[in-house]
Amino acid sequence: MAGAENQSGAENGEQDSESIRRRLETLDGKLREAKGPSRPPVDTEGRGRAMGQAFKLSIELVAGVAVGGFIGWALDQLFGTKPILMVVFLVLGAASGIMNVIRTAKTMQGEPMPGHHLRTKAARDAVAKDDED
Amino acid sequence: MPDPMHQFEIQRIVPLDLFGFDASFTNAALFMVIGAVLITVFIVFAMRKAEMVPNRTQSVAELAYTFVANMVRDNVGTDGMKYFPFIFTLFMFVLTMNMLGMMPYSFTVTSHIIVTFALALMVFIGVTIIGFVKHGAHFFSFFVPKGVPFILLPLIVVVEVISYLTRPLSLSVRLFANMTAGHTLLKVFGAFVVAMGVLGGWAALAFMVAFTGLEILVAFLQAYVFAILTCIYLNDALHLH
Repeated sequence: MAGAENQSGAENGEQDSESIRRRLETLDGKLREAKGPSRPPVDTEGRGRAMGQAFKLSIELVAGVAVGGFIGWALDQLFGTKPILMVVFLVLGAASGIMNVIRTAKTMQGEPMPGHHLRTKAARDAVAKDDED
Repeated sequence: MPDPMHQFEIQRIVPLDLFGFDASFTNAALFMVIGAVLITVFIVFAMRKAEMVPNRTQSVAELAYTFVANMVRDNVGTDGMKYFPFIFTLFMFVLTMNMLGMMPYSFTVTSHIIVTFALALMVFIGVTIIGFVKHGAHFFSFFVPKGVPFILLPLIVVVEVISYLTRPLSLSVRLFANMTAGHTLLKVFGAFVVAMGVLGGWAALAFMVAFTGLEILVAFLQAYVFAILTCIYLNDALHLH
């Protein structure tokens, strides 16, 4: 229904802005209705823990790629095989990063790490609980 | 708005040039000295006249001792108690640095990657040397997981070695990123409190109070994680799977 008012022409700018304002107001009201009276409270602590874990896993992943890339770069400098070894070691580094992520995720779920084990439950909890903002 | 990264700036207090290297006494060095002195004075003062029934300071010192001792005993075993002094020092140092950083106007040493990386590299190199001294060439079997097909072995060994080499990086980045992120966020919200004024600043202030509590928890937890990961690495080196 607001569309009819909008047809009145470009020269009548004052009326135009008035109609836009009115439309915005009705839209605002509708939005408020759609959102409901108040939003449910957010679980800050759970979110913080999840953030911490995600943070930790991403560090593991990035560290693998970074170290792999650095080793490849250093070996390239050493042997003068400019891009090849860096490419190879970047991929290997990504593989080791993913392996680390899987290991960490398994400890977070409370399973003992394959190969490199955490001996106690306390140690596993500490790794899983590593909390952050 | 004030610069939230200003708090991490290194300032020279006593400029010093050592054979072309800039070895100035900086604010970071100052806080490390303060921390080391604080720990030493506290432990020595607390245990000055050790009694069977400890007073308050003595019981705090004993609490710290038993906490780390149990951590080493649980994660490395009794033969790992040889390395207890090192892990206790490491834990107390990181904890004190993190906690000192929570004081207003102070400097957080552990928010610099070079500091945490140096600590992690020290742990990494030390643990590797211990592994080689203890097991000799047999230590290389650490990089060969059990039950891997023969064809895959060269690939897996390289990946395992890279994974081993990422340890100092992930160990140091974790501590550094936690401290830096937390302190930056605190400063940003501090600026919000001022910018929003008497009327609007209270919400940001309430958040800051809660977040400071969380930061103190993180400061302790990160020191704990640093120490326990050192224990786990030490255990890996001492007891090959």
